Amino acid sequence: MGKIIGIDLGTTNSEASVMESGKPTVIKSSEGQPYFPSVVAFTKDGEMLVGETAKRQAVTNPEGTIHRIKRKMGRSEKVKAHGKSYSPEQISAFILQKIKKDAEEFLGEKISDAVITVPAYFNDDQRQATKDAGKIAGLNVKRIINEPTAASLAYGLDKEGDHKIAVYDFGGGTFDITLMEVGDGVFEVLSTNGDTQLGGSDMDQALVDYLIKDFEKENNVDLKNDPKAFQRLLEAAENAKMELSSTLQTDINLPYITVVDNEPKHLEIKLTRAKFEEIIAPIVNKTGQPCKQALKDAKLKPSDIDHVVLVGGTTRIPVVKKKVEEIFGKTPKRDVDPMECVAIGAAVQAGILSGDIEKDIVLLDVTPLTLSIETLGGVATALIERNTTVPTKKGRVFSTAADSQPSVEINVLQGERPMAADNKSLGRFHLDGILPAPRGIPQIEVAFDIDVDGIINVSAKDLGTSKEQSIRVTGSTKLSDEEISRMKKDAEEHAEEDEKRKEKVEIRNNGDALAHSAQKTLDELKEKISDDDKKNIEEELKELREALAGDDVDKIKEKTEKLSQVLQKASTAIYQQAAQQAAQQQQAGAQAGSSDESSWSGHPSDDGKTIDADYKVKDEDKKKSDDDKKKKGKTD
Amino acid sequence: MSTKQATRKKKDSNVKKTDNLKKEVEKLKQELKEKNDKLLRSYADLQNYQKRMEKELQIREVETKKKYISELIDLNELLKKACEDDDPKAGLKLMINNIENFFEKEQIKYINCMGKKFDHNLHHAVNTVEDDDCESETIVEEVKKGYMINDKILRPSHVIVAKKKENE
Repeated sequence: MGKIIGIDLGTTNSEASVMESGKPTVIKSSEGQPYFPSVVAFTKDGEMLVGETAKRQAVTNPEGTIHRIKRKMGRSEKVKAHGKSYSPEQISAFILQKIKKDAEEFLGEKISDAVITVPAYFNDDQRQATKDAGKIAGLNVKRIINEPTAASLAYGLDKEGDHKIAVYDFGGGTFDITLMEVGDGVFEVLSTNGDTQLGGSDMDQALVDYLIKDFEKENNVDLKNDPKAFQRLLEAAENAKMELSSTLQTDINLPYITVVDNEPKHLEIKLTRAKFEEIIAPIVNKTGQPCKQALKDAKLKPSDIDHVVLVGGTTRIPVVKKKVEEIFGKTPKRDVDPMECVAIGAAVQAGILSGDIEKDIVLLDVTPLTLSIETLGGVATALIERNTTVPTKKGRVFSTAADSQPSVEINVLQGERPMAADNKSLGRFHLDGILPAPRGIPQIEVAFDIDVDGIINVSAKDLGTSKEQSIRVTGSTKLSDEEISRMKKDAEEHAEEDEKRKEKVEIRNNGDALAHSAQKTLDELKEKISDDDKKNIEEELKELREALAGDDVDKIKEKTEKLSQVLQKASTAIYQQAAQQAAQQQQAGAQAGSSDESSWSGHPSDDGKTIDADYKVKDEDKKKSDDDKKKKGKTD
Repeated sequence: MSTKQATRKKKDSNVKKTDNLKKEVEKLKQELKEKNDKLLRSYADLQNYQKRMEKELQIREVETKKKYISELIDLNELLKKACEDDDPKAGLKLMINNIENFFEKEQIKYINCMGKKFDHNLHHAVNTVEDDDCESETIVEEVKKGYMINDKILRPSHVIVAKKKENE
């Protein structure tokens, strides 16, 4: 079965959304916008335009352009355009057709089913007309649902038992308040009210008026009669309105707004949020009365309302939110984009209608914390990142850190800290019987498999001998919320020092790796290296080893770089001798030493970061290199 | 051949049948379990892929921003210098030149609209004026300049369009 899309068929703009593996995606128009202007136009040449293009030509073609058809739905009256008449259903159908076509292009598949929303106050005729519009557009309308119901669905309020919801919908041109009761997933409208001539565009207009008056006071010019200036003012007002939702003050600067007596004039106004709130207060206050009336009609007190949901772009304005809080005495919900809320809710309804799978997916768990294993130098190397949806399986090939290392230890860790010791160890096990081989040669695949219940199966397999060991860890996703947030907080608090510690280990690992590879180079290619180069390498290697024996990380870094330089010089010379291999040398990245080693021993080249975990630290080397427990990251 | 024997035989075969069916059920259950696991895993994979794509998109957005904002930073520094210059005209001209070169590199083209016939694909009409001297639908004023990017519309020109007086 194909996808069912959710459509918010609005008065000025329409939106569409679709569920994709349990998540709503907002559909973009072919013009790249997340909405479709609800405008249809017929040009003199008989061409039909829908959406953005129709809007652009509206003022040049008023007799051929149809706006706000939603207000006429369900009536028998026809609308005329260039002598031809159309029913409101037909016009709505053109809008739906455009949405259908763009959705098909956006999703890359045919769309035939839809859920469409209508205002709660729509009567049966208006609902039927909407359904018919869908049919004309070639859509199978699976269901017509109320806009406030859709908004509540977008917030998942159908799952929370019996309660009462107020949906405060303040858009660009209209205001609606709906009170509903929900129980067992069924929504019942208790009352609705609103104002069809009230919206965010009134605020823009009020702000423009203020700016014009202010400018006139200063410069004695009325910008109202200057269309160029007026257009810029309108845009600036819209921007300022949006800006002031997140900041307390904004500058409205419009250089060269007009010319008076050959002298250019600039508009320069500082607008505080307080001033803006004062300007729009009359508009915001107008929403109070309909809310009170709706409460009265439903015979409810504000305290009877359990949830308040905000819909429409205008509700992004802080003072509007404050007004809602004042009316209902409750902090409203607003984490779903209020512009997309209704379309998303329609998509949620569509998802429920299209089958159970979607419901199951929503319930899939995620790993609350990163899962990793301990690698060389005590670094935690992540295999499964935090917030990964389970069930999932991730594997990675590691190797040994010392020559003839017979076993590796897998220490399974949970947590966000980069060093193993700071994370929680979930369990550890050994994989023995690795055949004697130089470091970096054995390939040990470590795999994390988390099933749907959060049980982790960690296995390590020697790809050479097929020997395998594994461990089961239960309850990894069942950490308490406090535990998770404590571990996350820990990671944030220590982020900086952790990073430094990790860097130190990495520098040491790099130095160690380079020392190892330099030694190998000397042993294997002694005939090919010139005496000068040999002497240089030996000297620098000695110095690096001395540095590695100490604790001065900067010194290790410096010596590593030096050795890397002389090694590069030597290897360049060798490659020049063997010109056919020159291309290979080019691949050697910033970590020349490590890469050199890789190419000489015939390994696929790694990325710099994983190779850092490649080798043992010096201290351990001295202790007991055979019993090396650390492992290296090789390939994914 | 007694009826007893026949009943036993029948019973035996029924037991055998039931056993077979039980085995079949077990097998199917196992199969279903495996299929279900696979299904959940592919959905989890899809969700993880979505998460990764979101992250990647964010990274790419920041990278794109960096590119354009660094151009703006340069421009800002130069404008500050121009502001302190008593005769900044020559400098400003060069700056405009630089910006226009940048636009050219990014394939951003100005939409030349004055005197052209209104086209809803390129222009946004903000108003009309009655004007009998020129063809109807001719653009007589450009309120805001429009631009194309890679032959796609970046933003339409905001224009005022001529209209013939109604002869009624």
